[in-house]
Amino acid sequence: MDIKLEKVDDCRWRIPRTGPMRVDGLIFSNDELIKQVQGDQSLQQVANVATLPGIVGHSLAMPDIHWGYGFPIGGVAAFDPATGVVSPGGVGYDINCGCRLMTTALTIGDVRLSIKELILSLFRNVPTGVGSTGAVVLTKAEEARVALEGAAWAVKQGFGTTEDLERTEDLGTMAGADPSVLSERALKRGVDQLGTLGSGNHFLEVQVVDTIYDPKTAAAFGLQEGQVTVFLHTGSRGFGHQICDDFLKMMSQKSNLLPFDLPDRQLACAPLQSEMARRYLAAMACAANYAWANRQILMHLTRETFMKTLGLSPRDLRMRLLFDVCHNIAKHETHRFGGRTMELCVHRKGATRALPPGHPLLPEIYRLVGQPVLIPGDMGTHSYVLVGAEGAMAETFGSTCHGAGRVLSRSQALKRAKGRSISREMDDKGIVVHSKGKKTLAEEMPEAYKDASQVVEVVHAAGLARKVARLTPLGVIKG
Amino acid sequence: MQAIAYRRSEIQVLDHTADLGIIVKSPDLQTLFEDAAGYMMQMMVAPLEEGIGHDFAIRVEASDLEDLMVRWLGEILYLFEGEGQIVTSVRIEALSPCSLSAVVRQTPFDAEVHEVLCEIKAVTYHQIEVRERAGRWESRIIFDV
Repeated sequence: MDIKLEKVDDCRWRIPRTGPMRVDGLIFSNDELIKQVQGDQSLQQVANVATLPGIVGHSLAMPDIHWGYGFPIGGVAAFDPATGVVSPGGVGYDINCGCRLMTTALTIGDVRLSIKELILSLFRNVPTGVGSTGAVVLTKAEEARVALEGAAWAVKQGFGTTEDLERTEDLGTMAGADPSVLSERALKRGVDQLGTLGSGNHFLEVQVVDTIYDPKTAAAFGLQEGQVTVFLHTGSRGFGHQICDDFLKMMSQKSNLLPFDLPDRQLACAPLQSEMARRYLAAMACAANYAWANRQILMHLTRETFMKTLGLSPRDLRMRLLFDVCHNIAKHETHRFGGRTMELCVHRKGATRALPPGHPLLPEIYRLVGQPVLIPGDMGTHSYVLVGAEGAMAETFGSTCHGAGRVLSRSQALKRAKGRSISREMDDKGIVVHSKGKKTLAEEMPEAYKDASQVVEVVHAAGLARKVARLTPLGVIKG
Repeated sequence: MQAIAYRRSEIQVLDHTADLGIIVKSPDLQTLFEDAAGYMMQMMVAPLEEGIGHDFAIRVEASDLEDLMVRWLGEILYLFEGEGQIVTSVRIEALSPCSLSAVVRQTPFDAEVHEVLCEIKAVTYHQIEVRERAGRWESRIIFDV
């Protein structure tokens, strides 16, 4: 399929419907960012998603779009429950990979002298890297409860408070989970990984708020200049990967029964009305819940480490959850489309939910201001806090970008890093880094990513989400 | 038992912004499957002490050759991710377009001895290819990392 790309305006690009595409593609981007994806296959992937039955509106992509597998990363697509499909490739292997931002009562002056010790303590106390096991050892019965209850399970065990739950997307528990549909392999991989950070692009970062763009919303979020925050990025670990893998294999095997041609086997899917779709969504909800419990436990470990290392009481530290948002998910949501209110199955693959002020799904504390949207940068540059805006409901089924997005392959990053010490370069910038994998730092160096500030400018200009605050890294731990 | 034999094949690493891809070119289909597994393990962990450990039989059923490659490598990956076992050698005993039987030798992963070079989360179906070209067999495989 030839990809024709038309510029709509300064932040929108269109792939007109052609061949088997059922709808147009719509990419939010600017002149510079769009150039970075024209050489790879991510635009083809936007077109491929547009061929899936029951797709509503556009096959969408956010400005952090990059080449994924099946769906592009940064892809969003909504499907009619009667005629549409659910695709594990539209959710991703790391189900409910997401971010959590914690605020503290500390200022940069409180941590400046002890940041090296603090980051080292976090590296020791938060399990990182491949094969790491968590502080929580589950029985299979408890694992099933984690899968059903999500972050609420973690809070019941003492890893946080009910206040944390109301500051988590879906209150930290996705409905419809059914552990009976899970494979033995998924259960086995999940049993000892709860409370682990993982590897690759997952991280825990201590930051300082360096710029406030929207003082009123920042105040409602409890953010102020000079304040120390902690950003956490991780997901459902091997548990989610195995669930995705299990269902991709099952759906791939039945692909020949679908009444249309799949342009990519990774887009294997099941009609939303089918038993296979019901089972996948029930399993996916289990992984989503596992991820929320995981981030809740990691927040607890972080809080304990801060208190012990800095000699603070909970009252001194006042580490509070600002919000927890998910990146990789498919959800039944209510949207206005074509003048009608419809229930749709919205896939977000490397994309963040962004609800505007007044949305009924918002917790009371954020009802008047809108949903916090958390956009991590890379370990060397800024992260952002945004707030959901009306444009997202009008154009993207309540979605916005999820991060910077890679621009270099891992092998290109390794070549660029040859002969350099990324750790020392980060140290020179005043950022303390501890990483378990030797290659990870090189693969994840800041040059490997797009400029997150450009990505954020596009969604701000397009009206999908508005900038609230910018965060600068002080120290990072990675797997 | 044949030692890990990815050296019998030509391996090309694909540049992929999100993930990691390889193209394996081999003199025959059996070597293609054996070397793809060997190279995947080499990407994941070091040192890879060839041929040590105990034998383990694997049988894989699939709908076609591409599906077979994804499932076969998925089995090797699961041994590492799910069972904590490093596969140190593989031998395909029987191979058809929809099934294979293999014996793999495996040894426990030891974090004190082994270094994880790359976490491969899954073997994807994205752009998967297994085909014969000019008397050689080749496969393109994209890994989720």
